[in-house]
Amino acid sequence: MKKRRFLIRAGVIILLIAIGGCMMVIGRGHTVYFDNKKLEYEGQQLDTYRRINVFVNGEQVAKLSAKERGMASCVGQSFHFDIEATKEKGDDPEQYSFDLSLPYGIDGVIVNLPAIIAGLPQEAWMSEFVPMVVEEEEEEEIVLDDFDMSSDDI
Amino acid sequence: MNGKNTSSPKKALAFVGNNAVPIMFIIIIAVCIPISGFSPTFLLNEIMTRLSRNAFLILSLLIPIMAGMGLNFGMTLGAMAAEIALIFATDWQIWGIPGIVLAMIISVPISALLGLACGRILNAAKGREMITSYIISFFMNGVYQLVVLYMMGSIIPIIHNNVKLPRGYGVRASVDLTRIRKSLDGVLAVNIAGVRVPLLTILIIVGMCLIIVWFRRTKLGQDMRAVGQDMEVARAAGIDVEKTRIISIVISTVLAGIGMVIYLQNMGDMATYSSHSQIGMFCIAALLVGGASVDRASIGNVFLGVILFHTMFILAPRAGAVITGNEVIGEYFRVFVSYGVITLALIMYETKKRRAKAHMGAQLELEQREEEKR
Repeated sequence: MKKRRFLIRAGVIILLIAIGGCMMVIGRGHTVYFDNKKLEYEGQQLDTYRRINVFVNGEQVAKLSAKERGMASCVGQSFHFDIEATKEKGDDPEQYSFDLSLPYGIDGVIVNLPAIIAGLPQEAWMSEFVPMVVEEEEEEEIVLDDFDMSSDDI
Repeated sequence: MNGKNTSSPKKALAFVGNNAVPIMFIIIIAVCIPISGFSPTFLLNEIMTRLSRNAFLILSLLIPIMAGMGLNFGMTLGAMAAEIALIFATDWQIWGIPGIVLAMIISVPISALLGLACGRILNAAKGREMITSYIISFFMNGVYQLVVLYMMGSIIPIIHNNVKLPRGYGVRASVDLTRIRKSLDGVLAVNIAGVRVPLLTILIIVGMCLIIVWFRRTKLGQDMRAVGQDMEVARAAGIDVEKTRIISIVISTVLAGIGMVIYLQNMGDMATYSSHSQIGMFCIAALLVGGASVDRASIGNVFLGVILFHTMFILAPRAGAVITGNEVIGEYFRVFVSYGVITLALIMYETKKRRAKAHMGAQLELEQREEEKR
């Protein structure tokens, strides 16, 4: 009886840990930044596109002119997006689809669109977005009030 | 015929006496609704939002009442566990429903451990459970502040600057939960006559109600009821009273943790150092407004309480502004009503208990006299 109880408890704990682990993988949020910017890779010069429209799940998330950046949020490790790229004025837009595998440890991923269209390796078009550190002059004040019942919304 | 006539007013008086608090609230609300000028759709939307936000938390109070431990002010411990879990989920950037599920899972062991400690202390303070659990929540609030304000970021890793204080350790006074905001409420949400119904959250609450109904019929549930009625009789019947009481507090704290995650995902913002301290008081006040007492509470009391208490919360500031020209007076009104209703319910409970005792004593005396005469 005791052994059975122990096994059930251990099973429940393992199940909860497994569910938690799954949630950490499928729920990991990333911000993907799309750059329509010039790039130089191993001597190869890649120019910007005149216009790039980025679609995620059929919804347009960015409309980029040269040197512009757009962004989209992504939950999970795989990310699919479609683009409609126009190289020069008067050209017909070309359609591309990409599936990315996003690194777990990186919050913000920058994708250089001219480089990914050109078929360069991942190291050329993917980089980590590092937010600028803004020095906060004033320390945030922490108010510890246990008796406050006057909040606006409960 | 005469007997019937005299018993009906007595019954009505007894009904009013037993349900004084909800009746009082119904009257206040009936007066405030026309004064406030809110449209029925707006009111219903607000009530539905608050029902889905608070009902699970209040349901967590039912089990300790069943076990005779009164109103569990220690539910604050579960709320703290949920906040710690949400801090981690936010810092690890787990978004949407997975973030909510992960926070619930992380909160469970923390709540269970805190509940276990709380239950053990309450066993050492039998008969004074409510005040003891209230003080435990203050004590644990200090520990929580130590962990969150000084250990997180220094000993416990916190990576992101939007969670961490600029000084490098400690968590900000407000944690942004935008990435999980209404993730649960948004799933299966339907619009019925202009009222947005968060169906999944409501289904979870209904599921919890069914679990409580089922739990009452289980062996453990029966044991809790027996312990709640008379500890000595329960002990004589072979029930492990202390263990049963601890289990009831552990279940309540764990449920409060899960309820707090549901509450905060609806709010979309977490006041790190104050959300939990208010929540116990609000939930208990709502339950009492619903007609519950220290030793008796039902699922019906939970829903009636949420509807009445929160409708008053919505109406009071506007009604106050219309009547006095100052919205702040309405704010004061709802604050003193919140505390006042708890005080009133506690006084009524004690008065009833004394009356019942006196009535029993008088009956016993009468029986003894009759026996002596024979």
